Amino acid sequence: MAPPSGLHHSAVPSDFETPYPPLVRSSTVPASLRSHRADPSHLAPEDAYAPLSPHRHPGAYVRGGDGSGTDARPRRVRRDDTSRSRSRRRKRFQKLLWVKQSYPDNYTDQATFLENLQRNPRVRPYDFWPLVADSTVIVQHVCSVIIFVVCFVGIFQERVSPVSVVGWGSFATFLGWLLWDWWVSHETHEGSGDDGARGRIMRGGSRTYREYRPPLQQDSSGLGQSMPNVSTVSISSTSNLPSATSSTSNLLQDQLPPHRPLQAPSSAAGSSTLLVPGHAPSRSVSSVNSIASQGTNPNSPTTTTTTTHRLGPDGPDQPPTPSPTARNSRAYVRVSTIKSAILIYFTLLGLSPILKSLTRSTSSDSIWAMSFWLLVINIFFFDYSGSSWVGSGSGGGGGTRGKRMPVASLSTNAALMASTVLASRLPSTGQVFSLTLFSIEVFGLFPVFRQYARHRSRRYHVSLTVLLVLGAGAGVGMVLGDDDAGGWPWKRGLLGMLVGCLIAVLAMGGCAWWLIGLQKYKNEIYGPWDPARPIIISRRHWDDD
Amino acid sequence: MAPTYNIAMVSDFFFPQPGGVESHIYQLSTKLRDRGHKVIIITHAYKGRTGVRYLTNGLKVYHVPFFVLYRSASFPTVFSFFPIFRNIVLRERIDIVHGHASLSSLCHEAILHARTMGLRTVYTDHSLFGFADAASIFANKLLKFSLSDVDHVICVSHTCKENTVLRASLDPLMVSVIPNAVVAENFRPLDHPAETSARSFGDHHPPPARRPLGPHDMITIVVISRLFYNKGTDLLTAAIPRILENHPHTRFIIAGDGPKAIDLEQMIEQNVLQDRVEMLGPIRHEEVRDVMVRGHIYLHPSLTEAFGTVIVEAASCGLYVVCTQVGGIPEVLPSHMTVFAKPEEDDLVAATGRAIAALRANKVRTELFHEQVKSMYSWTNVAMRTERVYNGICGAISEAEFYGYDAVNGAGSWSAARGRSGVQSFALIDRLKRYYGCGIWAGKLFCLCVIVDYLIFLALELLFPRDKIDICPDWPRKERKVDGKEAG
Repeated sequence: MAPPSGLHHSAVPSDFETPYPPLVRSSTVPASLRSHRADPSHLAPEDAYAPLSPHRHPGAYVRGGDGSGTDARPRRVRRDDTSRSRSRRRKRFQKLLWVKQSYPDNYTDQATFLENLQRNPRVRPYDFWPLVADSTVIVQHVCSVIIFVVCFVGIFQERVSPVSVVGWGSFATFLGWLLWDWWVSHETHEGSGDDGARGRIMRGGSRTYREYRPPLQQDSSGLGQSMPNVSTVSISSTSNLPSATSSTSNLLQDQLPPHRPLQAPSSAAGSSTLLVPGHAPSRSVSSVNSIASQGTNPNSPTTTTTTTHRLGPDGPDQPPTPSPTARNSRAYVRVSTIKSAILIYFTLLGLSPILKSLTRSTSSDSIWAMSFWLLVINIFFFDYSGSSWVGSGSGGGGGTRGKRMPVASLSTNAALMASTVLASRLPSTGQVFSLTLFSIEVFGLFPVFRQYARHRSRRYHVSLTVLLVLGAGAGVGMVLGDDDAGGWPWKRGLLGMLVGCLIAVLAMGGCAWWLIGLQKYKNEIYGPWDPARPIIISRRHWDDD
Repeated sequence: MAPTYNIAMVSDFFFPQPGGVESHIYQLSTKLRDRGHKVIIITHAYKGRTGVRYLTNGLKVYHVPFFVLYRSASFPTVFSFFPIFRNIVLRERIDIVHGHASLSSLCHEAILHARTMGLRTVYTDHSLFGFADAASIFANKLLKFSLSDVDHVICVSHTCKENTVLRASLDPLMVSVIPNAVVAENFRPLDHPAETSARSFGDHHPPPARRPLGPHDMITIVVISRLFYNKGTDLLTAAIPRILENHPHTRFIIAGDGPKAIDLEQMIEQNVLQDRVEMLGPIRHEEVRDVMVRGHIYLHPSLTEAFGTVIVEAASCGLYVVCTQVGGIPEVLPSHMTVFAKPEEDDLVAATGRAIAALRANKVRTELFHEQVKSMYSWTNVAMRTERVYNGICGAISEAEFYGYDAVNGAGSWSAARGRSGVQSFALIDRLKRYYGCGIWAGKLFCLCVIVDYLIFLALELLFPRDKIDICPDWPRKERKVDGKEAG
């Protein structure tokens, strides 16, 4: 079988020295692949060791020497009869390394070079209005930062009383929490499956519930609302935002001793004894709170049924009608939440004198610069994606029941540090305490509410955005007004609102338009050299590392 | 008589460190020496390897003392290598500087200095890079700098060529594709006769067919790879239990080590596969063949690969190859030796199933693979093709012949600054033109580097004049083998 191919070699001067043993196709090709030879574009193994004539110029290429090869192989003769196009196509350059090409090594084939190059394969064009709608998240966050700064300036210039700031802030937080909780219980009660952020929130809630086994037999108490989270006793509530939520809400609850018996006649004794004296605003707040809370569940005859109604389907793993132990555990959760909330409250109160003198040796200019940069960090590193609740238990195979951790902890930490250093500029302990508490509400709890509001309904989201823009504009307008005006500079506030709205609209529309305009510069290159992205289905959790 | 050259191979990666680039340099140098050229190797000092060393075949290795940064890549100090490099080059009367591996800063610096000194430069790229992440962008910029003024580039596969052309904005005609090769004698199947003269193969009868596999014979699947993410170990971890579940009479042998080994072990324990999956841990390159011949199928789940020498080695050992269709892998082996899979768990399982079925049906004549691979890939061939590149850049073969007629005729379409054999100018201003086009800021920075390099060169000429540097005696050159036919 070999001699004919040897002839082939002598007849065809090769591009290189070719001492390779000429194999005959019939001996090498697997039986199953014979059928492929009918396909004219398919390569056969013999292409590897049947070098064609030396050839440098593709245009002038004439397939010399093929006659000897064809004569030597009867098999090929038959095939040449059937498909003449195949023999012409075989001259073509092939992107294969095992084939002895009849082209020089640096030959670049116009047809196949970079044929697999993809440009911008995954680009989807942006639309204007969805882009504007998405940018509202950023506007919301920037506005809340502005409101915080405005409040600080107001406190610093002693235009507003710190107590009123923290009082109104806490009131708003409490209202927000009620709303949030109502949404949660409502949605869970509807029995809709958990999707997205809400589902993760629910799972997290049930996890904390599981963590605290019910050792105490206590009746349900409080406002008849479920308290899905238990806060760990720590002053740095940045590590666990939901815990901060509940803590502050509990702070508010703690200020409601006169109303509590009305709602929960058989409440736990330990929790109702707390009274924070001397806060007139909080009293008024508490009364409104109680009204609001009663409004949320107006037609519930007893607290116990309400609790059952609300608490029951809180976690997805929980049966619809909870057992008494579940209710008791809820009560226990509430009590421990209250405990930790008290602890946070008093720790803040105790730390306030220390915070007050924290940066006494530092000049104010450094503080302004530092807090500016910290707030910039907060804005830039904030997680606007709305999916900040991820399981951090990445090591485990399950991973779904991991501990909740905000991704944007850098952002929150920066904001709280900014508020701390800003608070340390304030002269009195009460002011320091108020500002710190307010910052926890603004930077720790408010983003959770915003995120949930966005998830819940577009209407809430838009109205919240408008509210925030108006508030920020008005605040800036008032703060920029001169001091000696006396009373509230309403005019400036209105002007600020107008300007704020104008700026927000211009920024949102302009940035969206700009981004769409920039898309024409996009040039992503993908090709076979890029590492493939493996698709693995049997493992749910996949860390890209 | 064809010209012979004095060639300096420069790379951070060389023995005693094992690896693909290292053996490439060694094999290529050996074969070039066999063809009558003089080859020296410049690398950085390894632990216990310093100074000048001769390998057993007379290959001279300079171990330059350099600070090693990461995975034996030296610290990039753009100019500090120049004095000693110039000394070596003058001492050895080097004509061509050939750098290897894109992550080797020694190689890039050597190319820069060699051009400053007026030498011809060749660069061989062994790896693929993306364009997306920051590290790749940085590496690509550096590559652009170093390859702005290089005479020729060699890539190990067509995919690698496309990638390098894009990364460094090169003229595609400046880039040759010369694949890696294997030493087929070191990767013989188990029952293969030790010495088969290639010349007498015409009279040699093909090796006897293997004993056909019955339906209940054990089929062994071998995996030899470093267990990293980009080697597809995650795919492997996901696929092994399913393959073993679908095919009862199969087992795995896995050799190699890496950070993903723990995942594999976890998978073995979770699925209780201790008796069907054997993990050998890290093995040396000499042992690869001994592991390979224990199996029937070689599974290569890599996610990116410029060439994939290991699948050639596996095919040479007579293994049926199942591999992912990524990078340059589809170019490497003919389709009757391989089963391709998409880099997906399902497809990998299915492809392995097809391979097992084909083996069980005895449709694949793996005993013939060795001779076929031997005829496809040899280092002698690689050396010949590399020699043609040397001839092309040194002007031994004409420009029209080297680059093709159409390129010369259409010379107006090529930029004047881009080098061409014979036209490639060493004048500083021409070199600066080439570097200036690298980018708005980078171009100016690169020009600055080149000017500084040139000034250093002038200073070195003054401080250490050429005539004061000893010329070292050459190792006796081998007689050039008479080819009869001259390459090119």
